[in-house]
Amino acid sequence: MTAPTGLGHHASQDDPRIMLDGQIGQYEQVPPYPTRTEREAEFYSLRDGEMFLNMGPQHPSTHGVLRVVLKINGENVVDLDPVLGYLHRGVEKLCENSDYHHVISQIDPLEYVSSLFMEWAPVMSFEQLLDVKVPRRAEYIRVLTGELLRIASHVLFQGWMALDLGGLAPILYSFIERDEIVEMLAALTGQRMLFNYFRIGGVNGDLNHEFMSRLGDWMSRALVQHEANIGLLNENEIFVRRMRDIGRLDGETAKRMGVSGPNIRAAGVPFDVRRAHPYSVYPELEFDIPVRGTGPAGGDSLDRYLLRLDEVRESIRIIDQCLHNMPDGPVMARLPRLMRPRPGRAWAAVESPRGLFGTYVISDGTDQPFRMKIHDPSFVHLQLVGMLMKNNLIADTMAVMASLDPVMGGIDK
Amino acid sequence: MAMTPDGPDAAKDVVAAGGSDLTTPIIVPNTLWTSDRPGAYLSTSPAFTHLRDLEGSALVNRDTARWGQLEVIPTKADLVVDLIRMNSLWPLLSGLACCAIEMMSAATSKNDMDRWGMFPFRASPRQADVLIVAGTLTTKMAGPLVRLWEQMPEPKWCVAMGDCTCSGGRYKRSYSTIEGIDRVLPVDVYVPGCPPRPEGLIYGMMKLGQLIKERRGHWPEHAIGPNVPEDV
Repeated sequence: MTAPTGLGHHASQDDPRIMLDGQIGQYEQVPPYPTRTEREAEFYSLRDGEMFLNMGPQHPSTHGVLRVVLKINGENVVDLDPVLGYLHRGVEKLCENSDYHHVISQIDPLEYVSSLFMEWAPVMSFEQLLDVKVPRRAEYIRVLTGELLRIASHVLFQGWMALDLGGLAPILYSFIERDEIVEMLAALTGQRMLFNYFRIGGVNGDLNHEFMSRLGDWMSRALVQHEANIGLLNENEIFVRRMRDIGRLDGETAKRMGVSGPNIRAAGVPFDVRRAHPYSVYPELEFDIPVRGTGPAGGDSLDRYLLRLDEVRESIRIIDQCLHNMPDGPVMARLPRLMRPRPGRAWAAVESPRGLFGTYVISDGTDQPFRMKIHDPSFVHLQLVGMLMKNNLIADTMAVMASLDPVMGGIDK
Repeated sequence: MAMTPDGPDAAKDVVAAGGSDLTTPIIVPNTLWTSDRPGAYLSTSPAFTHLRDLEGSALVNRDTARWGQLEVIPTKADLVVDLIRMNSLWPLLSGLACCAIEMMSAATSKNDMDRWGMFPFRASPRQADVLIVAGTLTTKMAGPLVRLWEQMPEPKWCVAMGDCTCSGGRYKRSYSTIEGIDRVLPVDVYVPGCPPRPEGLIYGMMKLGQLIKERRGHWPEHAIGPNVPEDV
């Protein structure tokens, strides 16, 4: 069919990557192209008794649009091939074409369940470039809102974990907590998910009454509610038995693969960016780093799950301290509207709920970053999928993958 | 003939005046995605766009002779069927990006979409009525998404949730996204917002129910009334 002219034309109309009616169905051929590497040639050749099972990109169990080609022999997963890029939005290039303020709004849908951390790292690296001193009250507000969002992310993880194993009830309870947290953050920032709240040199707006009253309400029952939600799953024998002893990851492998965040702490390595490379006001705050799976075999899926629940308690501790120690003062540094930092490079990393999230920014003296590299923990953790899912049953693949808690927005950028 | 103001010619004049450019609907042709059925989504010259245009056309009244005096009964039966359809919209469990979280939020405890019969998110497109496209549609995902849509049985509807699916949103400038899913799918309801609140999605779904009741949504064939084959 020919495209009519005069009604606006877009490049995607001629785009060969968009499949038309006649082409639909062709993309599923395995492999979709002549094999290019030895690894591909090996993967796409079947031995006796083996077959391919396509999982995704639309699949209720995956955390987003990931396609995994499983090579199975009976019920065993022999090998697998993750196919990425279904959510590639070109964030890095968009950031490099936005000025420094606009980067914040371009980057925060990256990991959409913890978007404040996606704003935090670039803001910190820009502050390094510009030599900005952030007011202490702004730093405390950043920590307070960040830890709130960490709780929201981890309780969602608990619900998803159960959902991937077939349990529907926990996600209903998870979303009660998550909705309460994002509603109080919406009272502060005006948005429920993509807050766009951190600014270079501070935050956008001081704490207000509605946020504080909602937070007080929630804090009064947070721990009790958390314990109750934990009881839904941790005392469920089916759940625990399915999670135990699958997807074991030991500390050495984790370090070698560049794992960070809860996944490496559940492998017995007490690495936390908040303590290892302190930033913001974390040195003034008192909190523990929960570690599990310290044995020689490392941690399994259950350890990774339990560790995130431990972190929720620590986050509640941090929020409590933030509320008690919150200093007075401004929440924004005085800065010019148009920012042209001197040419230079800056790296800043934060401990996001999924691990080390960092940005590496190169400035060439203009009002836009020349290069902005985004290091996302989910992308690193997805490397483990091939290692940990192998030689498991098909039913356990999602238990392993969900326990790594990847978010496709961050992986595909 | 044209002497009396309420004569047949006068009525024709009114119709002619009403048929000016202002009142004719704007038809944006769907250039990327077309159905196999030539009459399904008329992208070149649709015979009509509103039900009221259908009154008296042969397309609707083709079986009047057969049903004759019974024609009121199938009309009422259609209304009942539509009421059933609009009150049990089963969405497809398919989330692409950020908006999927808000879609889940709309489905779970606090904003319970189940109150309006929209809950059972079907994992299989063959059991779903509505495709809620929640999140940025990239060029790589466009093919699988269209394939999901093709697998859904008729009648089916599509809700575009979020700015990215309505128009491109904050990723409009990107090289790898599709600026609005109406380039690849027929869309019935647009829910803007980045992301829209769960209440916004529920409102959009209720609007979709209204469309279904008024038969203004996406339909496999632009025909109302009993669809009796000619040779029966």
